[in-house]
Amino acid sequence: MRTETKRMIKRLMRNPSAVLGFSLLIFFTIIAIIAPIICPPQSYDPYMIPIATWDKTPQPPTAEHPFGVIDGRDIFYGVIWGTRTAFKVGLIVTLTSTVIGLLIGSVAGYFGGWLDEILMRITDIFLSIPYILAAIVVTAFLGMGLNKVMISLITFGWMATARLIRGNILQVREEQYVLAARALGVSDYLVILKHVLPNTIFPVIIQATMRIGSLVITAAALSFLGLGAPVGYADWGSLLNFARNWLLGASGEAFKYWYAIVYPGTAMVLFVLAWNLVGDALRDVFDPRLRG
Amino acid sequence: MKQPILTVKNLRTYFYTEDGIVKAVDGVDFEVFQGETLGIVGESGCGKSVTSLSILRILDEKGKIVEGSIIFDGNDLTKISEESMRKIRGKDIAMIFQEPMVALNPVFTIGEQIVEAIVLHQKVDETTAKKMAVDLLRKVGIPEPEKRINEYPHELSGGMRQRAMIAMALSCKPKILIADEPTTALDVTIQAQIMELMKQLQKEYGMAIILITHDMGVIAENADRVVVMYAGKAVEYTDVKTLFNDPKHPYTWGLLHAIPRLDVEQTRLYNIPGIVPNPLKFPSGCKFHPRCEFAQEKCSLEEPELIEVVNGHFVRCFFWEKVEQAKKKEAGDEQ
Repeated sequence: MRTETKRMIKRLMRNPSAVLGFSLLIFFTIIAIIAPIICPPQSYDPYMIPIATWDKTPQPPTAEHPFGVIDGRDIFYGVIWGTRTAFKVGLIVTLTSTVIGLLIGSVAGYFGGWLDEILMRITDIFLSIPYILAAIVVTAFLGMGLNKVMISLITFGWMATARLIRGNILQVREEQYVLAARALGVSDYLVILKHVLPNTIFPVIIQATMRIGSLVITAAALSFLGLGAPVGYADWGSLLNFARNWLLGASGEAFKYWYAIVYPGTAMVLFVLAWNLVGDALRDVFDPRLRG
Repeated sequence: MKQPILTVKNLRTYFYTEDGIVKAVDGVDFEVFQGETLGIVGESGCGKSVTSLSILRILDEKGKIVEGSIIFDGNDLTKISEESMRKIRGKDIAMIFQEPMVALNPVFTIGEQIVEAIVLHQKVDETTAKKMAVDLLRKVGIPEPEKRINEYPHELSGGMRQRAMIAMALSCKPKILIADEPTTALDVTIQAQIMELMKQLQKEYGMAIILITHDMGVIAENADRVVVMYAGKAVEYTDVKTLFNDPKHPYTWGLLHAIPRLDVEQTRLYNIPGIVPNPLKFPSGCKFHPRCEFAQEKCSLEEPELIEVVNGHFVRCFFWEKVEQAKKKEAGDEQ
């Protein structure tokens, strides 16, 4: 292993919030992987939460349903399998939109001129549309479903990356090693890939990491509005959507249905926290100015 | 007669900026013969670097070669496709840069960068390329090349980095090496070492070097023939001995006067009056006339051509004979 890599790992281990972030992330990953063992699927689609009872009123935690029941469905099952949904949405949307942003931003930044002008004006148009609103409209237009949510989140999620990478490339492009690489006969495509991107990619990685968490919240917001996953799908946002009617509790007992919000809510908060802490940690490690 | 390997004819490279057209190179002619060193000398901003970037066609998007030809190997480099141009870059014509501090990519080891250069133009596998890289580093005088090859640019000193750059440029045994101010960023002892190294490698590989510098001392010691540039134009072009003993352009004459001399008592160092003109507002006629002590009315109206006044000695001046008279007078004064 390279000394630089060793030094990075050492720095990460010394930072308690980084350790917490990575531990949480590992914990969620394990949950997602062993979900079929914790909660064996009971129908052909494991993501559909099995119906425990036809009684629609929430029922408090019992030994059989440790997180309680809402809308006749087991919250524990929903939270466990919802971890997979969270990873799926967060990773796919972030990866795809980051790649799109990288592509557009690096082409615009490296080649400049009219190509830059066109691509950046397109970016401006996309940026001028309010994010949540655009996502709602597109999802409503495409029809309900998690895939549609992901498509709309990708469609309106690449601009920040494109802007960021373009700015960084404009700076790196003037560096003499880029000119030196061109003087050696390296093709434009390889110059971008090997000489420009490695020197500009770190802020993008950090930004993307932090976005994974916030994307899960956005997806949950759409699910909460009833635009995301179908009813009964294991998704933290959908679970919270079920809880919407019971938010106020019963008369005199404001916290009667606490489990309907606390369990999926906690899972979501911890998930977002994990990605933010990891993003912070990566920034500390990569940014040479913060090096002690 | 020997055939030149590179012929630059009437090269004009303009930059189309928001403020107007910058005529960075506006009429440069020279030839490069195998195994020789051609010096290009001039003040900063006179277009020396743009000339070299034009030869390799690696100008930024604002810069365009608007006229002239660069003949290499029977092909006009200004006309061939980008694809064929890329095969010439690094392989036939390589370049080393002024700042070894920033001309190496900070995120790769020097070994990785030399290997990249080798693999790019030669059909060898990674292991062979790595062996070649070690040999190259040894050849350019880097101690413990097996160890150095795994180090990052920031772990090397300036001189070492310039040596690594040279190793990279030589990886494909180019026919021409363009050295753009290769020693400017280095201190004097390292300068001498690097120039010595380049001379030695030039003999070994039989390559031509285009040496770009503003340092008359470096030119005197290393160049065989010299192009003097002023405001984007070649103003004088001859072999190095003639240039120093018998300069014919008032600008060259001024430059040589500005070098302090040890053999004559001098109270004040001569300097050419005025400053380099703004490339957006070049003076009319001869670009040098506002600063020239021999200038006449004709100079501000008409642009002189580069003419061959003696065999192999080209000058862009109407009144070069006046410089001759001034030289004679000065020689008389000294005696």
